[in-house]
Amino acid sequence: MSSAWRSALVAMGLIACLADLSTVALAKVDPGEPRVEYDGRFAFTRIRYGAAIDLSRFRREPPWMHDFPRADFHFLKILGELTFLSTVVDQGNILTLDDPDLAMSPIAYMSEPGFWFMSEAETAGLRNYLLKGGFIIFDDFRGNHIQNLLVQMRKVYPEGSFQKLDVTHPIFHSFFEIKDLDPRSGYYARDGDTEWLGIYEDNDTRKRLIAIANNNHDLGELWEFSDTGYMPVDISNEAYKFGVNYVMYAMTH
Amino acid sequence: MLDALFRFFFELSPVVFSQGEFRFAASTGSYVAAAAVAVAAGLTILAYRKGHGRPGQRIALAGIRLAILALILVCMFRPLLVVRAAVPQQNFLGVLLDDSRSMQIADVDGQPRASFVKSEFGASDRGLLKALSERFTVRTFRFSSAATRTTQESDLTFGGSQSRLGAALSGVRQELAGLPVAGLVMVSDGADTADAALGDAILGLKAEGLPVFTIGVGRETLSKDIQVGRVVTPKTALKGTTLMVDVVLSQSGFDGQKVTLDVEDEGTLVSTQQVSLPNAGTPASIPVRFTVNEAGPRVLRFRVSPQQGELVTENNAREALIDVRDRKEKILYFEGEPRYEYKFIRRAIPEGDNIIVTSLIRTADNKYMRQGVDGPDELVAAFPKTREELFAYRSLIIGSLEAAAMTGDQLKMISEFVDRRGGGLLMLGGPRAFAEGGWTGTAVADILPVVLDRNKLQPKGTVMRLTIKPTRAGAATAVTQLGANEQASAERWNSLPVVTAVNRVDAVKPGATVLLMGTDESRAERPMLIFQRYGRGKTFAFLPQNSWVWQMHSTIAVDDLTHENYWRQLMRWLVDGVPDQVEPALTTERVEPGEGAILTANIVDPSFVELNDAAVMATVTAPDGTVSDVPMSWDGEHAGQYQATIPTKAPGWYAARIDATRAGKSVGSAVTHFRAAPGDAEYFDATMHAGTLRRIADETGGRFYDPSNTSTLADDLRYTGRGVTTVEEHELWHLPIVLLLLVGLLCAEWGYRRVVGLA
Repeated sequence: MSSAWRSALVAMGLIACLADLSTVALAKVDPGEPRVEYDGRFAFTRIRYGAAIDLSRFRREPPWMHDFPRADFHFLKILGELTFLSTVVDQGNILTLDDPDLAMSPIAYMSEPGFWFMSEAETAGLRNYLLKGGFIIFDDFRGNHIQNLLVQMRKVYPEGSFQKLDVTHPIFHSFFEIKDLDPRSGYYARDGDTEWLGIYEDNDTRKRLIAIANNNHDLGELWEFSDTGYMPVDISNEAYKFGVNYVMYAMTH
Repeated sequence: MLDALFRFFFELSPVVFSQGEFRFAASTGSYVAAAAVAVAAGLTILAYRKGHGRPGQRIALAGIRLAILALILVCMFRPLLVVRAAVPQQNFLGVLLDDSRSMQIADVDGQPRASFVKSEFGASDRGLLKALSERFTVRTFRFSSAATRTTQESDLTFGGSQSRLGAALSGVRQELAGLPVAGLVMVSDGADTADAALGDAILGLKAEGLPVFTIGVGRETLSKDIQVGRVVTPKTALKGTTLMVDVVLSQSGFDGQKVTLDVEDEGTLVSTQQVSLPNAGTPASIPVRFTVNEAGPRVLRFRVSPQQGELVTENNAREALIDVRDRKEKILYFEGEPRYEYKFIRRAIPEGDNIIVTSLIRTADNKYMRQGVDGPDELVAAFPKTREELFAYRSLIIGSLEAAAMTGDQLKMISEFVDRRGGGLLMLGGPRAFAEGGWTGTAVADILPVVLDRNKLQPKGTVMRLTIKPTRAGAATAVTQLGANEQASAERWNSLPVVTAVNRVDAVKPGATVLLMGTDESRAERPMLIFQRYGRGKTFAFLPQNSWVWQMHSTIAVDDLTHENYWRQLMRWLVDGVPDQVEPALTTERVEPGEGAILTANIVDPSFVELNDAAVMATVTAPDGTVSDVPMSWDGEHAGQYQATIPTKAPGWYAARIDATRAGKSVGSAVTHFRAAPGDAEYFDATMHAGTLRRIADETGGRFYDPSNTSTLADDLRYTGRGVTTVEEHELWHLPIVLLLLVGLLCAEWGYRRVVGLA
């Protein structure tokens, strides 16, 4: 399948989704902790956490729910349209890291880890989750936010550390053939070069990735507004490609 | 006792009666006497027609009187027993003495069985041998695997590792062919360890009319004994496989006693467990679990520690040879959609394991991801389209994939993969699997162990939530073993989280076995893991769609290996026993040193079609390192089957590498092992087998004796009717039994009269 064809397909998928997405509320009220009862389909799981600082004074939503719910449901729509993965398109999980139900979603997504703060129970929960076979995507952070992510993950997985991934890594070829990792292509490129960082199981590069982080990038933002015209289609397409590849990689590795 | 009574009343041995012929030597006087008896009988009837007493009483008295007259009449006709008796010293007699190890068992008043042989046959001036030598020219043979002439007591070592009764009898019969042989005497405990049936040897003896007189030494039951009766193990296993083996224990004198059953792999203890012995005479099957971690030919020893007072301790252990293969076995896993079950099944098989899961996952329409492939060309065109390509794998897993994704020929190929190639097939539960995936009515549905019904589908969008437990049959398999022992395993199953299923299966095929059963929310039971043999291969159905919760669930510890162990065992079962293109087989894993081992090999082409025109060579490496080539030839009867007999000399391991070529191209090769070593079969079922010895005697016209009643043997042998004989006539009218009958009848008449008041 050529990349041109695939881009067109993504675009068509987006257009097809527009009608449905127009009904998605733009409300930013705290959704609580909704969860989908497992029935075999893939449900998007967003990690809820306590922030290190209170952002309410900036009149914005908690960092863990940034881009929710539109990003989540747009991505699920595209994922279900492009792949044979059965997805739950109109519901998702919002779970804390110490929630027992997290085990039923071996792929998890965390937004704005620059503000992430964990309790002891959450640290243990995430560690067990990753050791058993879970996979987590860190998205939507920039500048020095990476430092907090590194500190938090050091608590969770001290035996491993984030390593920079290059384009030859299988995660960039698990569905779409991503041929170039342009450091200036990230949503927050103005804050620094975009990097794709990963933690390997046992810190062994021959083993699977247990976590991936998009430094100076925000896939969720691009998913969220992919139906509004605010974002160029090709940039949104690229964001979806990364997301689809992450899920496909985590489903197969 | 009975024999002595018989001789008292009849003055002759039963053998004489069985061999002789009845005749009457009537004279003129006999006929005169007959007339007189007839008159007396007539008078008797007339006398009893009327008179005292009731009619019934008169009839009884008349009957007794007529019987007395009939007996007198028979005696007047001079009954004779005409029998051909061997002329002394004119005939030969073959004596076969069991020289095997089981004769050392001391179950006769604390004395070994061999002591009877030594005391009665040790020298020509002793016991039975002396009595026989006075009447016959005796040829003595000792036998274990074959019969050989013996002339002195020191020839008997009682060290033979087997007792081949049939071979010994046939050998002696041929040795004495052409001589006037009166019969054969066999002294043995009757424990025949030969693979060949005894019937052929008996048939030869019957055809020649040569009777065998057997003497059974030893007890028919051992007072105190424990025996490891049978152990059924696979001939080959993949390194790292956990095996569940049934060990059959039997005992006498140790009812209910607890003993330790150990399994040793070349001296290393790999399993131990306490077992309660079954009741005497009721063998019990004990499941034993162990893992084979060392590659190569391994001798596994299953042993119960000897108990105090046991007569035979050698039968407390059994050995089994397992060829543990350290090689990579490839399983093709075709998954129809991205899902967690795929990821975690792959993850359960670690890199470096002997199982390689080569997988093909359909991620989108006509888009596939390959994992675990050997090179860029493997599965490049998705699922194999030729038999050669598919049959290169040893087993196949089909995930959540609809039947319509396959062509008709591919479906047929999968069926042949199991039926003809002998591969294993596992279908996993999922939205596109089983009847929900349109597999009903396909060639694959025919081979699956479950019944697919397109009218009974699980409603779309609904799932069953089930707790799973092994069935009784499942608990006896390695795949369900999740704990260190049976109890731990059962507890583990009880604690496992609920799984979901989206395929409805209400029935399994008649030949299938349900290994795991699920209980849904309405308490209904549904088969979850089902197995059946099909053709040369086997098929499984596993219904849950998310066994990965056994790995991920919050109640499962990080270091818990339940999920890994389950899938590793299931995968090993899938590839277990799957044949290669060159598949060797041995009729027995052990031969006696010096004997030949019969090696067979099944040769097929890459499509697993049998080849009868291959060049097959066995390269045999002996224990001393010498290498010899033994050509194997097609047996002419079975397609693709080649055979050769591999000679052995020294005891030890022999490795046979079989290479098959066709038109100069290699078809394949395989290595198998066997050992030349003295067997221990002598100590198993080591009681005296009276049935076997009695059968030999009865079918050949001889007689069975136990050591206490052999006094008549020498005389009995005179009347076999074989060899140089003379005719003997024995008058029967004056036998004690006749007198006894006569007196008895007279007494009966008198007594009856007294009773009924007619005296």
